[in-house]
Amino acid sequence: MMDNHTLTLVVADAALIAPGLRRVHLRAADGARLPPAAPGAHITLSLPGADGARPLRNSYTLVSADPEHGYELIVRRADRSRGGSRHIHEALAPGDVIDATVPHNLFALHSQAKKHLLIGGGIGITPLLAFVARLRETGAPFELHQIASADEIGVFAALLAPRAGEQVHIHGGRTSLDLPALLAAQPLGTHVYTCGPAGLMDHVEAAAAGLGWPSSHVHREDFGAAGGEPFVLRLAASDIEIAVAGDQTMLEAIEAAGIDTPSLCRGGACGVCILPVRQGEPEHRDHFLSEAERAQGCHVMPCVSRSRSALLVLDI
Amino acid sequence: MTNRPRYAPLSPFAQARAHLLLCDGAAIPDDAFAPGHGLTDFPERWTVAGHALVMPQPFGAPSEQRFRSASHLLALLRHRLAAETMGLRIYAVGSEPFVWDVAKIAREAGMGREEMRLFACGAPERRVACVHCRTVNPGVTTTLVTCAGCGAVLTVRDHFSRVHNTWMGVQCDAEAPGEVPPVEDLCA
Amino acid sequence: MATRFKPDETFRDDFRYGNSETAILRFPFPFGEDAYMYGVNMEPHTRPGSAGVFAVGFDVDEHYVAECAERAKVLALEPGRCLVLPHMREAEWDTLELIMESLAADYPDQFTLERDGLDWTWTNRPLGIHHTFRFGDATTLPHPPFEYIVRQAQGDFTLQDQRDGTLYIDGGVATVPADWSLAFDVGMTFHEWHGPVPLAHQAGVFDRALQYLMRVRYGHPARRLNWTMTINPRLDTSPENYPLWGPDRASLTAETIGDRLFLRVELQSFFRLPRSNALLFGIRTYLASLNELTRVPKWGRRLHRVMRDLHPDIAEYKGLTRYRELLVAYLAQFDDGAPTAPGITPDCAALSD
Ligand code: FES
Repeated sequence: MMDNHTLTLVVADAALIAPGLRRVHLRAADGARLPPAAPGAHITLSLPGADGARPLRNSYTLVSADPEHGYELIVRRADRSRGGSRHIHEALAPGDVIDATVPHNLFALHSQAKKHLLIGGGIGITPLLAFVARLRETGAPFELHQIASADEIGVFAALLAPRAGEQVHIHGGRTSLDLPALLAAQPLGTHVYTCGPAGLMDHVEAAAAGLGWPSSHVHREDFGAAGGEPFVLRLAASDIEIAVAGDQTMLEAIEAAGIDTPSLCRGGACGVCILPVRQGEPEHRDHFLSEAERAQGCHVMPCVSRSRSALLVLDI
Repeated sequence: MTNRPRYAPLSPFAQARAHLLLCDGAAIPDDAFAPGHGLTDFPERWTVAGHALVMPQPFGAPSEQRFRSASHLLALLRHRLAAETMGLRIYAVGSEPFVWDVAKIAREAGMGREEMRLFACGAPERRVACVHCRTVNPGVTTTLVTCAGCGAVLTVRDHFSRVHNTWMGVQCDAEAPGEVPPVEDLCA
Repeated sequence: MATRFKPDETFRDDFRYGNSETAILRFPFPFGEDAYMYGVNMEPHTRPGSAGVFAVGFDVDEHYVAECAERAKVLALEPGRCLVLPHMREAEWDTLELIMESLAADYPDQFTLERDGLDWTWTNRPLGIHHTFRFGDATTLPHPPFEYIVRQAQGDFTLQDQRDGTLYIDGGVATVPADWSLAFDVGMTFHEWHGPVPLAHQAGVFDRALQYLMRVRYGHPARRLNWTMTINPRLDTSPENYPLWGPDRASLTAETIGDRLFLRVELQSFFRLPRSNALLFGIRTYLASLNELTRVPKWGRRLHRVMRDLHPDIAEYKGLTRYRELLVAYLAQFDDGAPTAPGITPDCAALSD
């Protein structure tokens, strides 16, 4: 498993566990071992787009990952689905084959924490389930607070039942959890991890900051999303125009147009994908270009950066 | 550049629940504080005063507490941090070995680098670990030191371990025995 | 062609060591052009189509058996050369799995890994090891898992914990260090650890390298080459034992330098570990004497130019100052002024004598 860029997975099982929540078990299509994964890791699935549109790439947290028994996901049917979760809920069936990235972790447990405080909202429980399994194993102190809407308390209680214990609490609605009191009572050296609706995560971050928590102790789930406003890319030398969708990176769009361009880290760090800009205003999101280089606006890292102007013209 | 710790003048963190300043009893120069800041920004202060006859109160209301020695202060700091909650910031000012002793206790209590500020002042003084025999030589004020453990004459590399609170000492004449450079005072 | 191991080689005392013609031709010569400046020079490792030492995750060459014996010797004398902080337990098992999987996949004749759930059987034919153990249960191995597997691999390794926006060196094995001390450096951040390297900080080299490394993904290892020079084929050039090898630097003469001065190249590789999210650094050292390297005409010319024009701070950091003049004078005979082709490959099928 040294150079695997993508995994070919097969659906072993897909079951509705509550209205709108589907649990999916995936295994390697060829029956081989799958890469292990740390709690908090996610995979990105390539799912067919609605009505034959371009495939969608959706990231899902691994609830559990075992090289032999496979990966487990829980997917909520989104109200305004672009097709990804709708596909998983309506069409996905055992035996279906799906391409996925290898697991990647941007939401890791902190090795120096004296205590782990986990705060989930709704389907944001998925990485926390993986955390609890690990923390139970290592015996590290933790507390889990899961917020559920009143009609879903039973669903989350059932999900958490195998992991129940005095550290696990379920609250019906956000108002029933006194977040400032909870945060204020935490011993020195606590790290808080939150996953759920952006509003909840913002609220946790703000409350923690207000109580003097340093940001290094506050963690929120982040798939490293590359999204933003759609824009149009014109490649001057090859004389083509490409539409970059809101959920697609510039690099992905260029590749999808059949143009080969070098890349390495795909995270804005290595500088390999650098491209010259002829016209337009790049929105730099990389860690490679210096402030001065950004100000000049002559180059852009297409693996993470986007465009502020509706049209960006590149010299390739 | 080298791996030398650098110290910025102290000012209280903007968003924190409580602040605790720790001093080793040496005179605190004005430049230990950022412009516009000073001791009065830190109502809870722990300091060392050998002759103190009043027992310090590690859990008392913010005020100045006096400890019998740096070791006494550090032991009670550990005790205090074990009972603390999130939102505390600590500040240490004094000799370099002292401020990093404070940092170590804070780290062991689960505090990160973002929760403490350190300022080393006074004449430079270092703990030098002999890389050959592991002996830690305290109170080194010169560029060369004879290791108390193995007798090697050590030069001090510009390489500081914040974990061990020591500088790396390496035999200075290993390549050509007897070729010892002149000894100089450490400069800040 | 199967590798013929040379178990009688030594890296201390009588220094019985040499490279076969094959080993010279696959040597990872670190200079892609006639001038050297410190840079990140990071590349993907084990990209399909790579050859020689770059083709596999963990290269096993003719020195394998002897280097493993040298590691065992150092660890017997100084057990502290292998050191892993307690929070890196998971990374230890990750390392064991990664190295076993790679060796078994890349050298199926020499290494075999059989897995039945958590019951694993490992066979290492060159070292005569056959062992059944339970993955995750350290009591079923004769050494802690990290130490167990690095005793069966060439080169040093370090384990980095990724937190607080940086990498902490929280474990490793260093029996082949180029003048750095694991016991002293353990627990440092990436920048502190590299503090002593001159000229690189100004260039922002470490900021970029750190950003890059923190994004290395599982299954996408990266690598870079670094180099220094060592007198005699001595692997253990630790600061701990500097009094033992330091005098060598003053002992070179025009007669001995060709045989006794070795270019020491580190193939540094970087692997994301899946369970722990830690990063494994492999620091694999290759040694070749000047006389071996200059049998490749391109390398002889280039080595002369690089050493002649090296920035004095870098020469000092790499410990070359004491014999640099002698080195450049010696290498001059291999430089006829002809241009050299870019890249590190030897560009010759056979060696000159
Ligand atoms: S691919 Fe590395 S910066 Fe874009």
